[in-house]
Amino acid sequence: MLQLRSVTKRYGALVALHDVSLDLAPGEFFGLLGPNGAGKSTTMALIAGLREPDSGTLALDGQPLSAASSTARLALGLVPQHIALYPELSAEQNLRIFGELYGLHGRELRARIDDALTAVQLHERRREPIKQYSGGMQRRLNLVAALLHRPKLLLCDEPTVGVDPQSRLAIFEYLERCNREGLTIIYSTHYMEEATRLCSRIGIIDQGRILALGSLEELLQRLPFEEEIRFPATPATDPLADQIRPHGELTTLDHQHRFRPRPDFRLSAFFAAAEALGLPPRLFTSQRPTLEAVFLHLTGRNLRE
Amino acid sequence: MRPLLALLRKDFLNFFRSKAAVSLTFLTPFAMIYLFGQIFGVNRKDSGPSGIPLAVVNASGNPAGDRLIAALRNERSFRVVTEYVLPDKSRRPLTEADLKPLMQKPGADFRFAVVLPADLVSDSSFGLHLKFLSNPRNEIETQTVNGLLQKTIFSHVPELLGQSLQARAKKFLGEARLDQFNRALAGVVSSSFGGDRAEIDRQLAAGDFGIGELMRGRRGTGGAAADGKAESGGDVFSQLVRIETEQVVGAKVRSPQATGLVGGWAIQFLLFALSASATSLFRERDAGLFQRLLASPVTRAQILWSKFLYGVALGVVQLLVLFVAAGSLLGIEVLPYLPLLTLVCLFAAAACTSFGMLLAAISSSPEAASGLATFLIMLMSGIGGAWFPISLLPEFIQQFSRLTLVYWSMEGFSGVLWARHGLLQLLPTLGILAGITAIVMTIAVWRFNRGKIFG
Ligand SMILES: Nc1ncnc2c1ncn2[C@@H]1O[C@H](COP(=O)(O)OP(=O)(O)OP(=O)(O)O)[C@@H](O)[C@H]1O
Ligand SMILES: [Mg+2]
Repeated sequence: MLQLRSVTKRYGALVALHDVSLDLAPGEFFGLLGPNGAGKSTTMALIAGLREPDSGTLALDGQPLSAASSTARLALGLVPQHIALYPELSAEQNLRIFGELYGLHGRELRARIDDALTAVQLHERRREPIKQYSGGMQRRLNLVAALLHRPKLLLCDEPTVGVDPQSRLAIFEYLERCNREGLTIIYSTHYMEEATRLCSRIGIIDQGRILALGSLEELLQRLPFEEEIRFPATPATDPLADQIRPHGELTTLDHQHRFRPRPDFRLSAFFAAAEALGLPPRLFTSQRPTLEAVFLHLTGRNLRE
Repeated sequence: MRPLLALLRKDFLNFFRSKAAVSLTFLTPFAMIYLFGQIFGVNRKDSGPSGIPLAVVNASGNPAGDRLIAALRNERSFRVVTEYVLPDKSRRPLTEADLKPLMQKPGADFRFAVVLPADLVSDSSFGLHLKFLSNPRNEIETQTVNGLLQKTIFSHVPELLGQSLQARAKKFLGEARLDQFNRALAGVVSSSFGGDRAEIDRQLAAGDFGIGELMRGRRGTGGAAADGKAESGGDVFSQLVRIETEQVVGAKVRSPQATGLVGGWAIQFLLFALSASATSLFRERDAGLFQRLLASPVTRAQILWSKFLYGVALGVVQLLVLFVAAGSLLGIEVLPYLPLLTLVCLFAAAACTSFGMLLAAISSSPEAASGLATFLIMLMSGIGGAWFPISLLPEFIQQFSRLTLVYWSMEGFSGVLWARHGLLQLLPTLGILAGITAIVMTIAVWRFNRGKIFG
């Protein structure tokens, strides 16, 4: 459906996107996971036609994407990273303006506005100026404003920033429903939990490059370990840490050791060593690694840094 | 077209949602017109300064000096002070020695003083000797006072000049021969024109060469002075040199002064209002709204033109409200000329809006835009003639007046309200305003496409 081929975008000397290629199939829920300044918004802006790439091509359904293409405009919906709404106007008025810009009008526009407001539970307060809304309510409106014209592809740029858990859940459920009904979604975030929960495929982006691309499973398989064992970093556990260090990757974060054994290392050996040192089993937790670990593995840095 | 209308509707919705914007548009013009009307005194029956405190000391002992003081008291521009109020509230006549200390102390009661010295009329030079003391904090005021003094003297006590002539003659001819001359002259006058020879002799000696008589006679005969044209009966010089004035343009205008000024105020008000609304482009940019708009089937050009149309519409409304305010508060005749005035407002508003758009296009932030706006609006208003007639400006600056939209907008307004031009006569001015709009908008759109606002 969407194709990016070797797309590069510079801002002066800064390379915001470097040789990015991406293919999206219809119906995908694609996550773009990366820290601040990774190039997520720039990617969105290029797809939405707000900016032109310095090199490379973008195409939607085989048609080149450009700012001038109005069929592409109608097929796309953009949820900007900022709350891009008129604060003095009511939810209804905001939606009406954006609907009209897409050529909607009359009864159909009114019906869609009603549906949209109901879907994100704002119908009761549709007549209030939205500057009186909470951050979460504004976020929900910011989201549905991009969907009135029923696009095929929705670009969601960090739609949950500064949102209460309840609104976040409402947004998740709404997007999942839309996706089930056939909407293709690109969802950018720097929360790995969001990408994990929502996305069928994830691209990890950092400093303008897509470092890894695949489903959650595929990404996790890139790790040279399948499990991570955590235990407190105390003088009592130091001898254990020294013993296991040659058998995998040991990192220490927040007074906690994280041990990622190499595939050939047998866990029974680990627990035998712990028992020999008199360390009780409750000290140890074992868990599947997360996207966080994938990011750390790929970049040597933490996602939240 | 549809997106343009949607954007326009959005701007108006925003406008009516903002109480500040609405009251700025509909109430501020009334407040402003009222205030300006008060400040510039455009509604007073007669113009000019009034009640300037002027201290006068007569040290000459000359009775003509006392008549001069009386004449000054009659002059509306002055409030004549001749007494010194002592701390115990008792009063005594001012003396020359009082003046300087009184004028130098802080919060002085008067800043101008005239002394009629002992040698008010001397034999060493022709003319009068007056001492004028001033604290000229304001050049225009000083000149006004000077001019009014001269006018009062020449108008009301011409014999002082005659006395001066007599004193000079006495010095050169000697008293006996001057008496002889006066007597001979009185004889000739009385035998040629009639009159009592002794009385004429007495008048000549007192310096009254009959000018006062002449004037009284003329007034009696009716003539030009009686039809109320611009001649003042008491003014010797307007008798000697008679200037008949006839106003050929704007003669029927009801509130001439206000009509002349209101165009300048209107255009400044509009420029400030519109440059403020142009900064709304920055607000929309910063909120990311342009991202949303441009991701939809809306072009940059449509966004800019919708802003332009909005500015023009708002501008026309603001101008018309302002003129209606001027009509009701200052008595300017507006309603009969409303159609043409609306047309001029349309072109003036377009020029002002394009100016606001250009500001937004070349500025990197709303703060930069409003700073630049203030500077440019002041500059354009000053050299465009909104503050004072451009003829007061140095000539090389006058050349730039015609480059400002302020100048041409004022031309348009005064064309309608003052000269009462018809559409045909207004066309050149409207054409120039349209040309300014086209040029400025072209630059603005070009800058917008390369500048920061859509970045
Ligand atoms: N208009 C611009 N001019 C110059 N540099 C820019 C501009 N917009 C973005 N950048 C730079 O490009 C890089 C990528 O920015 P981008 O906004 O795409 O990151 P992001 O992944 O969306 O980050 P965030 O999570 O903070 O939104 C950053 O280094 C940013 O500073
Ligand atoms: Mg971003």
